[in-house]
Amino acid sequence: MQCTYCEWRCDLSDGRLGVCRMYIEEGGSIRERFPYRWSSCIPSRVESVPFYHAWPGSRCLVIGTAGCNFRCRYCSNSFVAKQDPATIQDGMIELTPEELIRKARQLGCHSIVFNVNEPAMSLPSLEVVAGEARAAGLPMGCLTNAYATEESTELLGSIFSFFNVGLKGLSDDFNREYIGIPSAAPVLRNIRRLASLGHVEVTTPVIEAANDGELGEIARFIADVNPEIPWHVFRLLPEDEMKEARYPNIDAIAGALEEIRAFLPNVYFHNFVGSDWVNTLCPDCGTTVIERFSLGCGGDRLHSYNGQGNRCPSCGRQIRIHGEKVAWNAGEEKP
Amino acid sequence: MSLAIVDAREWQRMFDLRTGARVEGDNPLLRMVMEIQARRPYPGDLDDAGNRWVTDTALDLVAGYDPSFVFLTYARQFFIGRYSVLSGREWGEMVTSVFDEVSRFVALSGFTPVIVGTGGMMPFVDFIDVTHLHGLVLSTHWSARYSGLHDGSNRDLELLASLPEIERVVHRDEFRRLFSDCSGDDSRIPEYLLVARPGYMFRTVGGAFRKVRRVPAPAHSIPLHIGLRLGAAASITDVRALVSGHVRERKIALIVVEGLGVDDFPWPHLECRNGRDWFYYEPGDAQYLTLATGRHQVFEYPAGYKYFKEDAEKKEYPLSGYFTSVPQDTLVSGLGVRSIAVGNRSMLMHMVPGADISLECFARNLFNQGTMAVVRRMDKF
Repeated sequence: MQCTYCEWRCDLSDGRLGVCRMYIEEGGSIRERFPYRWSSCIPSRVESVPFYHAWPGSRCLVIGTAGCNFRCRYCSNSFVAKQDPATIQDGMIELTPEELIRKARQLGCHSIVFNVNEPAMSLPSLEVVAGEARAAGLPMGCLTNAYATEESTELLGSIFSFFNVGLKGLSDDFNREYIGIPSAAPVLRNIRRLASLGHVEVTTPVIEAANDGELGEIARFIADVNPEIPWHVFRLLPEDEMKEARYPNIDAIAGALEEIRAFLPNVYFHNFVGSDWVNTLCPDCGTTVIERFSLGCGGDRLHSYNGQGNRCPSCGRQIRIHGEKVAWNAGEEKP
Repeated sequence: MSLAIVDAREWQRMFDLRTGARVEGDNPLLRMVMEIQARRPYPGDLDDAGNRWVTDTALDLVAGYDPSFVFLTYARQFFIGRYSVLSGREWGEMVTSVFDEVSRFVALSGFTPVIVGTGGMMPFVDFIDVTHLHGLVLSTHWSARYSGLHDGSNRDLELLASLPEIERVVHRDEFRRLFSDCSGDDSRIPEYLLVARPGYMFRTVGGAFRKVRRVPAPAHSIPLHIGLRLGAAASITDVRALVSGHVRERKIALIVVEGLGVDDFPWPHLECRNGRDWFYYEPGDAQYLTLATGRHQVFEYPAGYKYFKEDAEKKEYPLSGYFTSVPQDTLVSGLGVRSIAVGNRSMLMHMVPGADISLECFARNLFNQGTMAVVRRMDKF
């Protein structure tokens, strides 16, 4: 029996486990091996995830599970994403969807964001959580590698309303060597689909001499989907198998991004402390609409929101924002 | 204004430490600090060279600034010990290695050392799962022994009282009474402080997921090595006076070695009280603040408080994590001598001793972002 959750479409017959090791075939259907077990459950600034254009200033509950369908050589969460999920269950937090929503409220969170690993590894659990979250008025967002099947992408679209999709690179060679997948084609297909279903931001980690030559092409793809999609170019902190790799040169990448801003205005360059490229500028008049402070892995933060609603305070141009600005402690008053 | 200089490898920026605003500055002192940062990229919390970086960087700053007081922290063995499976022999080698670095600093700098171990480590036994309580339990800042219960119900308290892994449940009034002679804002203290038995750790929401192998061992006393018979200190609160009493007559290095207790501290040492009654400090901000101020500092950022409520936009000291202000009246205040602080414990170096210049790794949850120097005083150069 083939798994239908991601593009690997693994054969789960006869007790076999797939690439992610998170699903199993039982009685003719596919079920999760570790439902409602969370590797992470922590309040965070939404900008830290990062979401720069969704519910700015808000506090979200970041959750994650285990397992991944990618094998990124530089993975910064390999202690969760690359481990055999069965071997790390003793460290997981087991919370029912109702308990999770309750924790989100107790922690004063405005939304729930799936991070850490790939949500397609835990879709049945997340579908139930989404039902509870909807009833509680908590929006849900996620980081995803979008290497999901078309069916799963529809499910992602029904669970989450805002997405940050990791588009690591375009060439098959890069994807094979660094990510462990044959092609980025399903990812590109799903970015288009998710952008039609909800709010999408895109993140690309830059690996010097590996995918830095593709930045222009990636930007043109995103602009073709929608030129107002925010694009986060991440200075990769090499971890895991690439721990010894050179840190990408900041000035060189920043220079390459300058030209791109002309056709993809919401370009950001961060994941290093004190980045100069984290503010939202009005695409028409250049006014700084949203100021942020970048703390790299310590998480980015909103510094000040200068917009009038979701409009530029100078020229009135609409800025693409999902939701609205939310005060950091707004959720503290909720019952 | 205190200046923060971030070095993210081949890229440096300067900020006002308090506001986070970009600033420009150029003078011989700043150039000297920035050159050291460029020359000494931080290898990482778990890297073999993590403690060597402390010695090398400190020696560079000693050569460039000629301080009379140095505050150092060596923490690699604490990070490794927490997350790695180590045999007794491997741990012993790590202790030897860190003291090789301490010896190298002392020999090459000529400073008189006062060395504090923050307390030993022991194997992690198990989690105490408090995630299903009606109230909210939070653990903060790498704490294993302590967590805070907010809005707990009577049923929660009954359940907690029945758990043998919990040593005690302390109402905040009782905690305030224990430290009634200590001043400071105590509004952050959670309603109840939960105290785990040795080896246990609370499973709470808010924790970062990494498999923990060791946790702080009981440390009612911590080791204190005092070079050249400078005197004695019976309590962690006495160390400040010991150092400040001698710093005008000789150059002193207060060296904090994380993860080492009285049982595995390799040099001759006194045993120094590390708390009061049942309460003892785990390695972290409260212990450091107590060392630096000479007063118990249990109210400032207490275990299990709702740290995230203070993280609103325009929070001051954005580069300083959960710290919301610069501690006053710390070790260096009023010494009137040049001082530096160097260590591989983020945030604590620049926020605790109050040194003229501090240089620390900029790492969060073991992710290495580079280094940060803070220049607080330029007038002594």
